[in-house]
Amino acid sequence: MCGIAGIMYKNSGSTKSAPIGDELVKMLETMVHRGHDSAGVTVAGEANDSDLLIRIWADDSAPATDTVARTEETIRRAGGTINSSELRGQFLRITANYEGDIPPLAEALLNEPGVVLHSIGEVSEVIKDVGTPLVMDQHHEISKLTGTHGVGHVRMATESVVDISHAHPFWAYPFTDVTVVHNGQLTNYHGMKREYEGRGYHFQTGNDSELIAVYLADKLNDGTSLNDALTESLDDLDGTFTYLVSTKDGMGYAKDRWSAKPLVAMETDDVVALASEEVALRSVFTEELDRTEPQEHEVMTWSA
Amino acid sequence: MVSLDASELTTRELNTRIKELATNGTEKITITNPAARHNIAVGILTECELEIDGSVGYYVATLLDGPRITINGNAGWALGENMMSGSISLSKSAGASVAASMRGGDMFVGGNAGARAGIGMKGGTLLIGGDSGFLTGFMMQKGRIIVVGDVGDAAGDSMYEGTIFCGGEIGSLGADSKIEESTEDELIEIWNLLEERGISERPHFKKIVSQKTLYHYDEQERHERPLI
Repeated sequence: MCGIAGIMYKNSGSTKSAPIGDELVKMLETMVHRGHDSAGVTVAGEANDSDLLIRIWADDSAPATDTVARTEETIRRAGGTINSSELRGQFLRITANYEGDIPPLAEALLNEPGVVLHSIGEVSEVIKDVGTPLVMDQHHEISKLTGTHGVGHVRMATESVVDISHAHPFWAYPFTDVTVVHNGQLTNYHGMKREYEGRGYHFQTGNDSELIAVYLADKLNDGTSLNDALTESLDDLDGTFTYLVSTKDGMGYAKDRWSAKPLVAMETDDVVALASEEVALRSVFTEELDRTEPQEHEVMTWSA
Repeated sequence: MVSLDASELTTRELNTRIKELATNGTEKITITNPAARHNIAVGILTECELEIDGSVGYYVATLLDGPRITINGNAGWALGENMMSGSISLSKSAGASVAASMRGGDMFVGGNAGARAGIGMKGGTLLIGGDSGFLTGFMMQKGRIIVVGDVGDAAGDSMYEGTIFCGGEIGSLGADSKIEESTEDELIEIWNLLEERGISERPHFKKIVSQKTLYHYDEQERHERPLI
């Protein structure tokens, strides 16, 4: 089934200290009944001295420390300098200075055995794992992360396997800071995937939701605005979906033409909050609140 | 009058307590701090008066036979599903599938209703003070939906029987539905309902019913028909 959530503080641009991680974990934990296979978040708008934030999962095909060494070497070979490198179990977080193009760097990293690339961002990072949001928070200390905005997901796998890479969010490789969380199923996934692969796009998983990230990356690559890309997706993607996208400075949603998957939205002068269910919003905004329910075939975006 | 604080009870405890109080003839039960939770007031088969002070989540006030429930706030999906008798009054807006499979009694949504309002209804009356969404009355079988405002696209799609009255604009008709003139008696009856609810509008409601061209329940199967 899956549950999604998103939150954006409109005025925290300069301080970048809104408790995004904590609030996403709270919202997601209230929706664990919608899925408890896996969980994931994108924390965005983080204060960051480095050019890039890179998140990698070192899978079982190579020893983690070996993968870390080769990852760092790859970044250096591409002309980057490593500012920090932190391995937590099999999860690697690197901050680096790098002035080159992202696609060749991402390509080089993807070619390294053991590297599953979760995100490359200037101001955001994807953290995802199997287990519930609380378990994920214990392992990754997400509730300590602050920023300006973010999106999150709890998973009930319906179309593909349960493992770390198949969790959401999916990064719209190679666009830094564009990530997607999805509630629903895409029915034209296989056909579209073959088309994109034929054009050179990478799919790291068999998850239909990854298609949305690739679709958006392709549209953005063509110079389409995010809002237009979301709008075009309403007719290009077949199936059921409510999905959220986080970008460098904002977020947005798209709802399928059937209104098959839920979404509630709350907006004040200070904050925009989105979730599959109102009970998630209430974990952060504890008083009675005014919220709307977006209708079918609808998109909306916000940016700081 | 008994007040239950939902924040101090699990959903199971809350529903068990409501049933106990209703069975014991408690005059009125109030639930505070629902905090948009799901599954509150489910499966109550005894008449009672219940007020929920705050917004609720999914499947609230479902599987009921008898209770009269008032909710001060919004509701999530499937409010009042499968109500057999009684009444539900929601002050603000409901999500998708409000009154799904409703069989009797009265439901009132003060604000708007989401997609698939009254899906598979089998009786009773659903009154929506605002607008109603996509696929209103989808696969409706019996009963009456009254929408004071606008109705979204695919209204009355695949209806068997039943009636949808729309006081505003109809986005589009669904498969096998059509518009008919409301009779004067029908209009007067609906206006009386609006009066009871303190709704001042008196629109000339359009009536949406099934065309029954996809409807073959009175036909024999091929092997049942005589050869000659």
